[in-house]
Amino acid sequence: MMSRRLMVPLLVAVAFLAAAGQAAAQPCLIFVHGKQTNTNTFTSYASARNYWVNGSNDFIRTATKSFATSFYVVGYNGTRPYWESQSAGEVANEIVNATNGGADAGGNRCRTTFAQGGTFWVIAHSMGGAVMDFILGNNDASDPNFNLNGPYDQVAQRISLAITTGGAHRGSQGADAVCLQANPLCSFIAIFIQSCDDATFWLRSSDDVQVRTFSNAPARTVNLTGGYEAIFGASACLTGEDDGVVQYASIFACGGSATASYDNSNVCGNSSKQETSGFRNLDATHENHDDERNASDTDVRKAIPGGIWTCGGVPCAPNTTVQSAMNTAQFIAILY
Amino acid sequence: MKKTIGIATMMAMAAVPLMAQVEAGKLARETAKEYREWARYPESSKALRQGEADPVKEKRMPTRQTRRGPDDAEPALSVWAAKVSFEKGQAVDLFASLEERGKAVAARAGLAGEIVDVTGAILAEVAYRDDGQAPDRRAGDGVWSARLEPSALASFPTASYMVRVQARLENGDLRSAAGGFLYSDPSARLTGRYRDSLRDGNLVIAAEVEVAETGRFHLAGTIYSPSGEPVGVAQAAANLEPGRHWIELSYYGLMFHERKVAGPYRLGTLALSTTHRMPNALNDLVENAHVTRAYRLGQMRQTSFERPQLLESAKRLELDAERAEREARERAPQQQ
Repeated sequence: MMSRRLMVPLLVAVAFLAAAGQAAAQPCLIFVHGKQTNTNTFTSYASARNYWVNGSNDFIRTATKSFATSFYVVGYNGTRPYWESQSAGEVANEIVNATNGGADAGGNRCRTTFAQGGTFWVIAHSMGGAVMDFILGNNDASDPNFNLNGPYDQVAQRISLAITTGGAHRGSQGADAVCLQANPLCSFIAIFIQSCDDATFWLRSSDDVQVRTFSNAPARTVNLTGGYEAIFGASACLTGEDDGVVQYASIFACGGSATASYDNSNVCGNSSKQETSGFRNLDATHENHDDERNASDTDVRKAIPGGIWTCGGVPCAPNTTVQSAMNTAQFIAILY
Repeated sequence: MKKTIGIATMMAMAAVPLMAQVEAGKLARETAKEYREWARYPESSKALRQGEADPVKEKRMPTRQTRRGPDDAEPALSVWAAKVSFEKGQAVDLFASLEERGKAVAARAGLAGEIVDVTGAILAEVAYRDDGQAPDRRAGDGVWSARLEPSALASFPTASYMVRVQARLENGDLRSAAGGFLYSDPSARLTGRYRDSLRDGNLVIAAEVEVAETGRFHLAGTIYSPSGEPVGVAQAAANLEPGRHWIELSYYGLMFHERKVAGPYRLGTLALSTTHRMPNALNDLVENAHVTRAYRLGQMRQTSFERPQLLESAKRLELDAERAEREARERAPQQQ
């Protein structure tokens, strides 16, 4: 009896110390890919994992500091509109699984569960940005599409923040061009946009398909980075700076027209976003839409209005070169 | 700066400010700070900053989709609809203009549009005119207009539609742009009856809706000060059976203290939508729906809401930030 009385507080103390230690661990990174022209990333872990790989370059390895940080790879049906059950619904379910300590299809799991005090950062590329906007903007019972096809409320409760790279928050003028079938010079990277399929139709830049028309402000902050390296042919069809698939107005979730022209100096600041809150600029990079997700171009990074870089203790002036050789995966690795 | 193909090397050589850095733990620390700020309000009610636009109105204001020619060549073709969403039975008014340095320019042979559904099927064709006949506002002003009459839309399912527009320039070149509109058949409407009250120091405005078909309904509204400034937004959603019901919007009292505004308040914009399926069916925006009684500021609650989930997120992020700062300090001596 005596020993049990001693044991209980001791176990509680040990559990508390363990939880406190884990709470201070590095966040688990959850990777959400972008638009696809087939269902491979949904049906095959290898495809979902390889989305982030190009030869010997591996975005996930770099962002996780050679896997020192735990991670989870989400695979959803990237041919479906951002709001559907096989896209937003699947992503939401997988994120909750990750936060419960469940493994992805490749056996990767977050080291610390949400119940144990873990923190989770979602890293989303391209259409993954619109998927996350929809989930995080419909997490509350008062939101228009609350828990439409998955546990959006649990996702919002459990993730700490999201980072999007080349996020299609306001759609893509690349999608417009493909659906217009008008200009053969607009040669987009085939793996992202090949035809005006359902997902592409819902990634156009007009108001009737915009995620903001069907969502509220995100319940957790979505941090924005993206590229300005042009792609021959494709960039000629996009307005302002772009990464060859998505224009700045969308990458940086700007309010107003999704086709407005922006560059590193004048891209919308944190108070001029598509929602009144929940979007924040990080920086811009001389990478194209492909590079942004496979760490294959270690290049210049630039400060943008309201971004995260400081120069001599104050925010760097927009368009200042802040790094001469750093890819987006390396950038993410210095954020945590 | 625009279209940077081939100058990557030059950019890599650009000077990097010596002190450009992302401070350790900064992202986690700033996000935590933001969450503590958000936590002061419930998720269904948000305060607006002084000078901030009405977000309910913003989301219902159509934006222009603009496309230039190859390599950013002017003139650009801009297309837009009169509204983001048209209710069944309404005519759909569409607009387009060719612009060079912001000024309208002539088209050789008028503008033509196609209405395309998600499968790519062309459901209708429209001819744009600039002759001053409704819906065109002024003959020869360079803004071309087209109207889809309700009879032409009778067989359209409620959905998102793409508007594909082409214009032939004076020099024979072609310009094309893609816009769109939502065609809605809402299952409820606002009756025009409102009532206001105070509950627990919050302003509650109830709006009566008449429901024709069982479904889920979302209501969002912006409250304005007596001087006409938007002060805050509130939203609510409910599953309702056919018949008349009241939906309540609760404006958290603290927002009136922060903006130092007493009543009477004006319900400036009100947006109802039917949300049990995607795309949601949007009712027309109602403006200046209701003016409340002259509530005193002292009647409003002044305490922070303290949303527990956000505060928990903030706490965990602060631990993340502390850990990152500690690790940076530990690394620093090793690097010297």
